[in-house]
Amino acid sequence: MSRYIATRAIRGANGLVAEAEAMVSSAILDQGPDTPVAFPNTAYYLPVALGMTGIEVETLGQLSDVVAHARRLLHPVPADHQWTPYLGETLDSGMATLLAAETIEAIRYIDGRQPEVMPGFDLAGGSAFTSPDTDAVAEESPNGHLNGAIDDIQLRSWGIQLVDGRMPGFAAIVGCAKSNEVAVQIVRELQRRNILCFLSGNVNGRSIIHQLIEEGVELGYDTYTVPFGTDTISAIYALGFATRSALTFGGLKGGQGREILLYNKDRVFAFVLALGEVDDLKYAAAAGAINFGFPVIADTVIPQILPTGVTTYEHVVSMPFNEIDGVDDLERAERLVQKCIEVRGVKVHIADVPVPVPYGSAFEGEVVRKADMRVEFGGKQSRAFEYLRMAELDKVTDGKIEVVGPDFSEIEPEGHMDLGIVVDVAGRQMEKDFEPVLERQIHYFVNGASGIQHIGQRDIAWIRLSTKATDAGFRLEGFGKILHARFHADFGAIVDKVQVTLVTDPPMLTELLNEARVAYDFRNKRLEDLTDTAVDVFYSCTLCQSFAPNHVCIVSPERLGLCGAYNWLDCKASFNINPTGPNQPIKLGRSVDSIKGYWEGTNEYAKIGSHGVVDEVAMYSIMENPMTACGCFECIVMLIPEANGVMVVSREDTSMTPAGMTFSTLAGLAGGGIQTPGVMGVGKFYLASPKFISADGGFKRVVWMSSFLKDSMSDELKVVADLAGDPALIDRIADERLVTTVEELLPWLEEHEHPALTMEAIL
Amino acid sequence: MQIEIPKDNWQGSVNTVTLGATPEEGGTRTRTVTIGGQQTLPFLHFEQTPPNRPVIALEITAARPGDWSPVLLDAWGDAIDDPGNWAGACESAGADLIVLSLGLTEADGRSADPESAVRATKSTLGGTGLPLIVLGPGQAELDNDFVIAVADATKGERLVLGLCEDSNYRTIVAAAMANDHLVVGRTPMDVNLAKQLNILITDMGLPLDRIVMDPTTGALGYGIEYGYSVMERLRIAALQGDAMTQLPLLVNPGAEAWKTKEAKVGEGVPDSWGKWEERASNWETVTAVALIEAGADIVVLRHPDSVTRVRNALDELMAVG
Repeated sequence: MSRYIATRAIRGANGLVAEAEAMVSSAILDQGPDTPVAFPNTAYYLPVALGMTGIEVETLGQLSDVVAHARRLLHPVPADHQWTPYLGETLDSGMATLLAAETIEAIRYIDGRQPEVMPGFDLAGGSAFTSPDTDAVAEESPNGHLNGAIDDIQLRSWGIQLVDGRMPGFAAIVGCAKSNEVAVQIVRELQRRNILCFLSGNVNGRSIIHQLIEEGVELGYDTYTVPFGTDTISAIYALGFATRSALTFGGLKGGQGREILLYNKDRVFAFVLALGEVDDLKYAAAAGAINFGFPVIADTVIPQILPTGVTTYEHVVSMPFNEIDGVDDLERAERLVQKCIEVRGVKVHIADVPVPVPYGSAFEGEVVRKADMRVEFGGKQSRAFEYLRMAELDKVTDGKIEVVGPDFSEIEPEGHMDLGIVVDVAGRQMEKDFEPVLERQIHYFVNGASGIQHIGQRDIAWIRLSTKATDAGFRLEGFGKILHARFHADFGAIVDKVQVTLVTDPPMLTELLNEARVAYDFRNKRLEDLTDTAVDVFYSCTLCQSFAPNHVCIVSPERLGLCGAYNWLDCKASFNINPTGPNQPIKLGRSVDSIKGYWEGTNEYAKIGSHGVVDEVAMYSIMENPMTACGCFECIVMLIPEANGVMVVSREDTSMTPAGMTFSTLAGLAGGGIQTPGVMGVGKFYLASPKFISADGGFKRVVWMSSFLKDSMSDELKVVADLAGDPALIDRIADERLVTTVEELLPWLEEHEHPALTMEAIL
Repeated sequence: MQIEIPKDNWQGSVNTVTLGATPEEGGTRTRTVTIGGQQTLPFLHFEQTPPNRPVIALEITAARPGDWSPVLLDAWGDAIDDPGNWAGACESAGADLIVLSLGLTEADGRSADPESAVRATKSTLGGTGLPLIVLGPGQAELDNDFVIAVADATKGERLVLGLCEDSNYRTIVAAAMANDHLVVGRTPMDVNLAKQLNILITDMGLPLDRIVMDPTTGALGYGIEYGYSVMERLRIAALQGDAMTQLPLLVNPGAEAWKTKEAKVGEGVPDSWGKWEERASNWETVTAVALIEAGADIVVLRHPDSVTRVRNALDELMAVG
């Protein structure tokens, strides 16, 4: 906690509470304690007072109770030698400031000094306040005052949008921007993102409200930009709005202060943007906002409070305007807004993919033939690669799309060129492990555009653009626009910023390709190192429960889902993106049997996930409590007792197996979420895992397997054979081309000296 | 010989949910409807006396429906042209609840808008004292616009607003939260999807006693087994103690049954199928009763005769012994 901020906030609070006390006393003296007190058109009395203290203020007299409460929250200003004014005192002072500010505004409403008079000014969309004096005046005439407090009707209308996510949050802007131009740019940037702007405060008498009015910006409910007042105190209406949101939408009652503050921290994505010099009162009010979990971003040099706790991320961030990177003030303003959004963790929604061709999953399977092709990247003639890397938040400019090198305009029709697609993503929830998961999405995202064909991934990507697409105006930037929009839309939970670079410039392309290849190798290595013993959670997968109601996959680093589509990293990412979805973490807890693969956590989950049908599951055995299957397994593993081993049949293999049944007949035995010792449905890459039925003897138990697997997985199987210390192992395994009955199988195995014959009895 | 019937001892129970509010409770309904509360599978009286009866809702539309069977149009007559009159007729026919489906067009062919949705809702509330469920036309954007307006105009009535679906629930839930209403969520015949939607809705802060779920079903002969099985599994999970499946169930045997050929077609079918009106109402009745036995707490019907028949069946199911 910054002692400097604490000192100034506490001093500011003391000052304002004293002022409120004086105003209350004199108002009671002048007008009597029974004088009614109210903000216009609200059922929530003075909302902050109601929420925090439970006092339903209806008369002047009750304001004494509110200021008395504020007084009790105050702390003495720390002395110079004292170094322990910490967060608690500052937050209390902030709350006292808010109560005092609300009291002052309430009295000003009695006096007619609120809403603040602003001659000639007209609110867009009307306001809650109808002055008794202006009733007679025609509606067209200017209202001549700022907005003051927000009424309940507007609260509900905006509140619904905040709750349902159409409006990502609100910004309480206090002070005065560097110039009118900057003021307009800041508000425009916020409006563009559908963020509500509340304006108040001034610096030396000039307010952002003056700046915007001078520039002809319409202010009012209709433009989502509400001018509260030109002093700092009027910023209280923003917190009144926040408090009422919690009361209206959070089902909370007056007096539930702590719950109301937490509701705002978790659900109302608001922040304070302090423009210009910050005085004691602003520090005090800011401390009040921090109570709500709303961070403060200042465009001047002030001490920062970076540790998190009360707010989700940093509490106070200083971003001196003139030191912001940017070619001009407008760009600096844009960056400032970007920073605010980052600090509060506001998520940006992008509704459409802004490319000049139709876009949707219907186009995913589209093929672009050579004759219809304008240009291709990758394939036989050229090279293309895609590389997604994680970067620090401040190193990525969201939405920036850059083409480095020439476009394809100089390439002849049906020609080719080299292309590198480099995607930089940053996010608070982003992890290095998600890079490959996200990178793989590039294929689907790019394919969604009509007239574009995408095949492969990493450095074997191959992309074709049709003439139709380029005629419609599709250029290299289009890839960036697609990726930016889709990563936000589909992976917004882990991705906050996306920047795309499209490289055709040969030296840079080579450099980035080399970097990408290092990363690909690193990821391969990472996958190899990712073992079951290296983690303490596995993931469940219940995607298939609509078909097999009691089946649950348990996905571990060394045992991917039986459909082959979900590995451990995919599940981890899926959980981060959709915390209520089908992939839930399973904490392993105590290991019960490390050979067979029992943990307390997996057993417990098996019971819950299968709705009590399965009691235990062994991760590494086919003979004891094997994992159940839905029906979408890539392979079936089945015991051949006569051969003291197992066979593996792939989905692609329609021929007869030594078990006397074909794949489709076997599927009935293996599927449906039933535990059948000796039969198991698995993903084919599980065969190459060191944990493949390791409790029963591992891969050396495989006596027969579909030739499709031998062929399609020859590289992986070679590694397995080498690891088993028998490079010829695969050749000792029979397939459907060699034998199809048990009678034939045994002599064949003996002839080829299959190790299973001499292993200990599997039964 | 004395035979001891084994009894299950479930950990969980279905949430008790009250629809509608009387003037004392801040609404205008003459009575409220309470559903849920079960601690056993349906109608096992020897385990628990059912705390609340399953209830029968009748569906009406804001404007004369263009795609309803002539059998239904005949049954309701002129009442169909005014939601208030129609709702009154439903109450006379013995309904416990009214479901108002807002459409895309008004009676005069103009596009429906939030104002017309509010008008239809107010008219319905005026025509009956029964609690009301209001459903949008089924297009996300319009659903939201209509439901916000209706929710705002009927604050405190404890209407059930819908439909919440996984792709569009936030606005409806927010509108319900702001105006003391309930919501109904629909998912396509899948236990996990139903659970997930319930989690998402409660995550927004709407209490569990203000949510009912529609797990979707099919009519007799058109997938009822699948629907039945999903409901049964949801109910078993609820009784086992899974809080996110403990919501009362609402299903639409009316809408489903009246889509079938057996209910829709009056000519060119074998004589052995019997009288059209009779057959159609039977189809609806049998579908509804089967779903009640699967655990439905609210069945939404369309034909007045079906109400009587389903009620008779319910009386027998509720009778002990």
